[in-house]
Amino acid sequence: MSNDRDASESALRIARLEARVAALEEALVRRSRELRELQRHLPSRELLNLSRLAGGLPPVPTGRYDLEVWRETTALTSASVEETLRDLWQSLTPEPFAAR
Amino acid sequence: MTDSASLSPSGPPPRKATLLVLAWNRWDLTERCLATLLATNLDNAEVLVIDNGSTDETPERLAEISGIRVLRLEKNLGFVRGNNAGIAAADPESDIVLLNNDLIFGQRDWLARLRAAASSSPKIGVVGARLRLPDGRLLHAGTYILCDTMWGQQIGSLEQDLGQYTAEVREVEGIVFACAFIKRELIAQIGGLALDFESYFEDTDYCLRARAAGWTTVVCGGVTLIHDEHGSTQNDPDSLGRLFQTSRATFREKWGEELAGRYGHRLLWQSIMNFPTGYAMSCREILRALDAQGVEVAYRYVYGPGTVFPPSEPENSEDYRLNVLRARKVPWRPKAAVVYGQADVFGSNRGRIKVGYTMLEVDGFPRDWVRAAQKMDEVWVPSEFNRQGFLDSGLTRPIEIIPLGVDTNYFHPGLSAFPNPHGEFVFFSAFEWGERKEPGLLLKIFNDEFGCDEPVRLVCKVINRDPGLKLKEEIRSLRLRDAGGRISFLFNQEFPHYQLGSLYRSMDCFISVSRGEGWNMPLMEAMACGLPAIATDWGAHREFVHETNAYPLRVRGTIPAVAKCPYYAGFRWADPDPDHLRHLMRQVFEHRDEARAKGALAAREIADRWTWRHTAQKIVARLKALGA
Repeated sequence: MSNDRDASESALRIARLEARVAALEEALVRRSRELRELQRHLPSRELLNLSRLAGGLPPVPTGRYDLEVWRETTALTSASVEETLRDLWQSLTPEPFAAR
Repeated sequence: MTDSASLSPSGPPPRKATLLVLAWNRWDLTERCLATLLATNLDNAEVLVIDNGSTDETPERLAEISGIRVLRLEKNLGFVRGNNAGIAAADPESDIVLLNNDLIFGQRDWLARLRAAASSSPKIGVVGARLRLPDGRLLHAGTYILCDTMWGQQIGSLEQDLGQYTAEVREVEGIVFACAFIKRELIAQIGGLALDFESYFEDTDYCLRARAAGWTTVVCGGVTLIHDEHGSTQNDPDSLGRLFQTSRATFREKWGEELAGRYGHRLLWQSIMNFPTGYAMSCREILRALDAQGVEVAYRYVYGPGTVFPPSEPENSEDYRLNVLRARKVPWRPKAAVVYGQADVFGSNRGRIKVGYTMLEVDGFPRDWVRAAQKMDEVWVPSEFNRQGFLDSGLTRPIEIIPLGVDTNYFHPGLSAFPNPHGEFVFFSAFEWGERKEPGLLLKIFNDEFGCDEPVRLVCKVINRDPGLKLKEEIRSLRLRDAGGRISFLFNQEFPHYQLGSLYRSMDCFISVSRGEGWNMPLMEAMACGLPAIATDWGAHREFVHETNAYPLRVRGTIPAVAKCPYYAGFRWADPDPDHLRHLMRQVFEHRDEARAKGALAAREIADRWTWRHTAQKIVARLKALGA
């Protein structure tokens, strides 16, 4: 009886572990797909900041005459004053960073 | 629940007001409306809910609410008859306030403010409020209707609410009757809403009837109510469409002649308006102001293929009024036409009476511009600076000064601001990168005068449309100090014009160090917003900049105007004094109260003297003098 019970518990444990591995594999596939999408669509600076945030670091502060942020263009970009200024002020001195 | 700036409590108690809330079903809306309404200050006011034949729980639930009176109508009579039933049931001595049941009241003193606006002049008969959508966008700051289309439009509609149109009393052509304070004397004279309309146009009709009887309609900008725009209607979209068209036909029949008769002058305006240029922006404003001043103005694009600016103009102005003006028919040889643009397109003027309206940033005008101007009956320029330039260049035709202006509904000190939360003092400049604007001087002197450890920053809104110009290299070549004053750039960002006032209000001082200006609109707009300004003491803007309202920047003299622009060849412009710029920036930074006082004075002066209404009035005076 005892051996039967042990075998049954082992089988159950293996089944649980296999299910967990399958779930993790699925999550990994999903995350890889997300990262590929981010890499395809985000500019390098935003990718850098994303990595820093994921790693528990604050985003790279922008400010002063931060020419490196510019893309030299003659095209005009539509923008909202409120969003632009909030972003500008925040970029000068990032909010205190709370790592999760 | 908020109160805006306080009202003076003095004076006799107000006359009784009856607040009519018209409801048909949608108890959820009515309940919310009443809950917020009853939480406001309703001094000497009665709330009368007109239950317009509701078939849901509305009758039973209304009976449970104390502090209101209910008028139960057995069937839905529609907006007009429903409200008229309410007016008939109200205290016959009381003023009337019509209210939709999808309003939300977040301002305790709304009624006191509407009353104050109504009593500010015995001629005011109808008072409306600003209406805002729940998402924060402005919905209504009054209405206008053009005789061409007979389709009423709401002023300011769907703009982000940044505090535009907040004047306590502003005359308008009409208001929507979602919220309408109507004086008892007016009702006694002209009665209730016209039965010609079941729905739509009844509010505009009422305001026009009031005007015909000698009353005015205003919007009280101190009151903002949330309008959820659900409406209580039993009609499907198709029948609503038919109802609208029927009402529109009725309205045209009733008011078409009257509205068309408002125009005292006809004018063809040949210019540019659908490109991001200074002429285009000011053209749009002048057209609106001329329409308001009774000029039936039609617009045509003056540039295009075969001219100095070949692109065709996009047809849509994204502005209803301007699109209508563009679509107006014009005879091939209209009586009078104004070409507003560079003088080298004056030759396109189609009028029998020809006016050319132009400006330039240097101390004279090119020979071909003068030749073209000689063929005009009259030449207009915005400033004495340009009048003198034309005279010096040999123009012998009459020259009139027609200054440009600002719209103080969008540029005033009370706008929303998004200031730097880090406490730095912020200098601000806005310019297209080029020789004339002297960006190098501004950046160098600021960076040199201040240190990075001082709580001060320069923000530059920079535009570059020249593919041959490498801005990064230009700025790097200035060799700005890392330890110097800190500078931020807003590069090639295009903000809606109506939001620019908020941009200025978010800064502490405006700087314009340009070598020459034909008007300097950003400077004037910033000053209208109450910003202290440092500006080169040379060029057209000396019309409105002086020692008392700003900080004129000394010039060392004039120098040859060397630039890519071919129109400047052979002329001169200013050489701003770097040492004085340094001194003025430090002066403003260290004497902020003085600077703020100058800015406040500038805002008052510009509101009093330099609006688009003033511009349009001067134009109308010239049209009269020319017999146009």
